[in-house]
Amino acid sequence: MTLGADGAIFAISILAGLIGALAGVGGGILIVPTLTLLFGIDIRLAIGASIVSVIATSSGAAAAYVRDRMTDMRVGMFLELATTTGAVVGALLAAIVAQAFLYILLGLVLLGSALMQVLRLGEEMPPEVEPSGLAARLRLASSYPDARLGREVSYAARRVPLGFVLMWGAGLVSGLLGIGSGALKVVAMDGAMRLPMKVSSATSNFMIGVTAAASAGIYLGRGDVDPTLVAPVALGVLAGAMLGARLLPRLANRQVRWIFLPVLVVIGIQTLLRGFGVGA
Amino acid sequence: MSGNARRERLTPDQFRAVVSTVLRTGVVTAAALTSVGFAMSLLVGWNGSLLGAAPTASAPTDFSRLVSGLLALRPVAFAQAGLVVLIATPVLRVATSVVGFWLEADRLYVAITLGVLVILLGSIFLVH
Repeated sequence: MTLGADGAIFAISILAGLIGALAGVGGGILIVPTLTLLFGIDIRLAIGASIVSVIATSSGAAAAYVRDRMTDMRVGMFLELATTTGAVVGALLAAIVAQAFLYILLGLVLLGSALMQVLRLGEEMPPEVEPSGLAARLRLASSYPDARLGREVSYAARRVPLGFVLMWGAGLVSGLLGIGSGALKVVAMDGAMRLPMKVSSATSNFMIGVTAAASAGIYLGRGDVDPTLVAPVALGVLAGAMLGARLLPRLANRQVRWIFLPVLVVIGIQTLLRGFGVGA
Repeated sequence: MSGNARRERLTPDQFRAVVSTVLRTGVVTAAALTSVGFAMSLLVGWNGSLLGAAPTASAPTDFSRLVSGLLALRPVAFAQAGLVVLIATPVLRVATSVVGFWLEADRLYVAITLGVLVILLGSIFLVH
């Protein structure tokens, strides 16, 4: 890498971290195509860099999200039980499942979720409900200070079993395909469990670091993480994620939806194309 | 739940502050190591050594080579150490949460978080 290339990668990584922190995804959508298409870097090393960028986005933003009560730590920890077990099963099955088919299936799921997102574009808050059943027993109800609305917003998770199953699926997909699946996590929390959009995004952000850390060790040991390539990516993504974390509390939930939707569509199309063997 | 059976020794706000500090410390340490590595690479190249040791062919992937690389002031070893800290940060965050929920006297979430930690460590070490 020349210094100029490092600088360009650093700048794009800032953008990836910013978008990742706001949309609750890892930023791989920008990192992988940039490295492979623009800089001709091997896909194996690009994915290694993208795994690291997921962790950087997550930890970089979560420090602020946890302190500002944007992340729901109980929701996050409870659902991590689903994503980590799903990921282990996925990793064990990875050798015997056809990846192309999976990419196509996942791409269709993501694009289908994008359609659902369109219907919710104007929604600022999910309808308020009292915590009941599992949500009450698992204390999956809390509140967060909304800087935009200038008040404390109470919320309670709904359809906890469905959310858990979707998260297990997101973990399974992570293990099978080696991706962060942050988009699926946001869809599960926003769409199924009906948490406020900002809480869904910040909690997804909190969770993707754990999912990625489980597989990053493998990539590191295999030599797929090239520190000389990852250095500008990690530094840029950290800076972008910290910036995004300062921005999110001040945005309206509606605005976050407008950021998340195009990200979801792009990830869906990328995933679908990968299933057909096109692109990175 | 058994939430009020024991008095909590950590308020939710304190718990959040601790987790937030763990995350920030991990991230800042990782960024500092990586930046130092990057600055050093401008002087001697990524695989060189500030102490003039012979260049390496690749980044260290095991612990002893990582330590010897750091001692030889190799830029690539500093960048690699930054990555290791970065990857360890989420794991450390989960471990901190186990203690946090324990001090918050929330036994259900101690069990849940401990479960996540065991699966996470298992998935990291079983594959090696």
